[in-house]
Amino acid sequence: MQEQMNVLEVTGLNVYYGSFHAVKDISFTLRPGEIFGLLGPNGAGKTSTLSAVEGLLKPRSGTIVVAGFDMKEKPRHARAALGVQLQFTSFQPELKVGEIIQLYAGIYGVAMPADKLAGILQSIKLEDAADKKFGQLSGGQQQRVSLAIATLHNPTLVLLDEPTSGLDPQSRRQLWERMEVLREKGHTIILTTHSMEEAEAVCDRIAIIDHGAILVIDTPQSLIDTYRENPAVVSASRRGKITLEDVFIGLTGETIRS
Amino acid sequence: MEVNIPKTSAVFAALLRADLTTQWRNRRSFVLVLLVPVIILISWKDIVDKLGGAFALSSCITIGLVAIGLMGYSNSIARDRDKGIFQRLRVAPVASWSIMASRLTVQLMMILLLTLLVFLAGFYIDHITLPVAGYLFTFFTAIIGGILYLGLGQVIVGLIQNPETVNSTSRLVYFLFIMVGMFGEFGILGEKVKQISLWSPYGTVKHIISAGMEPTTWNNEATMALLVAIGYAAVFSGVGIKKFKWNNK
Repeated sequence: MQEQMNVLEVTGLNVYYGSFHAVKDISFTLRPGEIFGLLGPNGAGKTSTLSAVEGLLKPRSGTIVVAGFDMKEKPRHARAALGVQLQFTSFQPELKVGEIIQLYAGIYGVAMPADKLAGILQSIKLEDAADKKFGQLSGGQQQRVSLAIATLHNPTLVLLDEPTSGLDPQSRRQLWERMEVLREKGHTIILTTHSMEEAEAVCDRIAIIDHGAILVIDTPQSLIDTYRENPAVVSASRRGKITLEDVFIGLTGETIRS
Repeated sequence: MEVNIPKTSAVFAALLRADLTTQWRNRRSFVLVLLVPVIILISWKDIVDKLGGAFALSSCITIGLVAIGLMGYSNSIARDRDKGIFQRLRVAPVASWSIMASRLTVQLMMILLLTLLVFLAGFYIDHITLPVAGYLFTFFTAIIGGILYLGLGQVIVGLIQNPETVNSTSRLVYFLFIMVGMFGEFGILGEKVKQISLWSPYGTVKHIISAGMEPTTWNNEATMALLVAIGYAAVFSGVGIKKFKWNNK
């Protein structure tokens, strides 16, 4: 049987801001249908790595191949294979939700007749929101619209940058369910998060990144099993039972980052 | 794996439709930019009699162009950049130039609408009529002048990241240009300032618009003003594009 192509291949990625080396020689691959989490303290290089994958940042060196398309050589093809929800996504506040969906449907070359638009709004439980402006929606509703737009064109790879930050527990749970649905539909997802609960709940594999470098990549349970005896991890543990958060603190340290 | 790459024309059409809707819904600034020159024209009835229709019309169109380029364009770009709207568009398979081209197309439409409104107000209120060639040529010179001020607006958003600072700077430059341009033109601020203002972005734009209204009187000085205006537009656009950042984070 032919081996399935990796959905994302990042090799030797280096990103600089002036003289600051933000991402240091990072390499990883994403397999079809997996949910991959990028975890790290503030300023660790998560968003910079995602921004490079999205094509928003020009890396100093390294290659990024999305769905078989090199981001440097075929950026439009690579971006067409991506569905993106940015950390600070905003849409024109003057536009209504239906108009924003129509705009992005046009941009991604997706036909959007009225019944399809109604179906999308129904699927995100916003049937009555077509004529509402984006700014009038709650945080959870905005996230749902944003995710619906990110997946309008049935992308191979979906990138979610801290998708649940600022959401209440109900909205967060709902978003996790949507991620599962996306995975069942065959999408591959990469997300950044500060929530260990989220990483354990939805991610098949996670990478812990700090000071611009990947420290470890594995499944959440394997990481717990591997580092269970590590003194730094044991000392980070608060209740005796080792959790993913203990592994994270043990590997990245207890110092608060700015 | 296969992906669907939409045609550039289809992407541009989607962007333009959204940008036109945004412009239309920003009614307050939309009306302000278009109505201020018309109100000035109405209040200048006596000046029309003394200095002529071409002077009044060209002054009003120039004031409108400054407002479109400095206040309308630069502020909307600064706000959308700050809110991350451009970044969201740029992660889609959209050529960056088409995002800006759509914005500029909306502003060029505003320039044509402004010119038309000033002509209509001039005709119905001050009974100013121009030869057909004058009307047509003025649309052309208004676009040149508009490009100059859009370029200046681009310089402001290129050099300044904060949207509030862009807002205050563009207002300051707007009043500076209009006050120095108008008072300088009349010689109130002295002969030196008069010469400077005549060849300033305000003076050259006003000159080519005024001369374009009466094409038979177009002379070497008008050609020189046209070339200077094109030069300003090229320099402002070049600096503005070079310095522009899509993200201010």
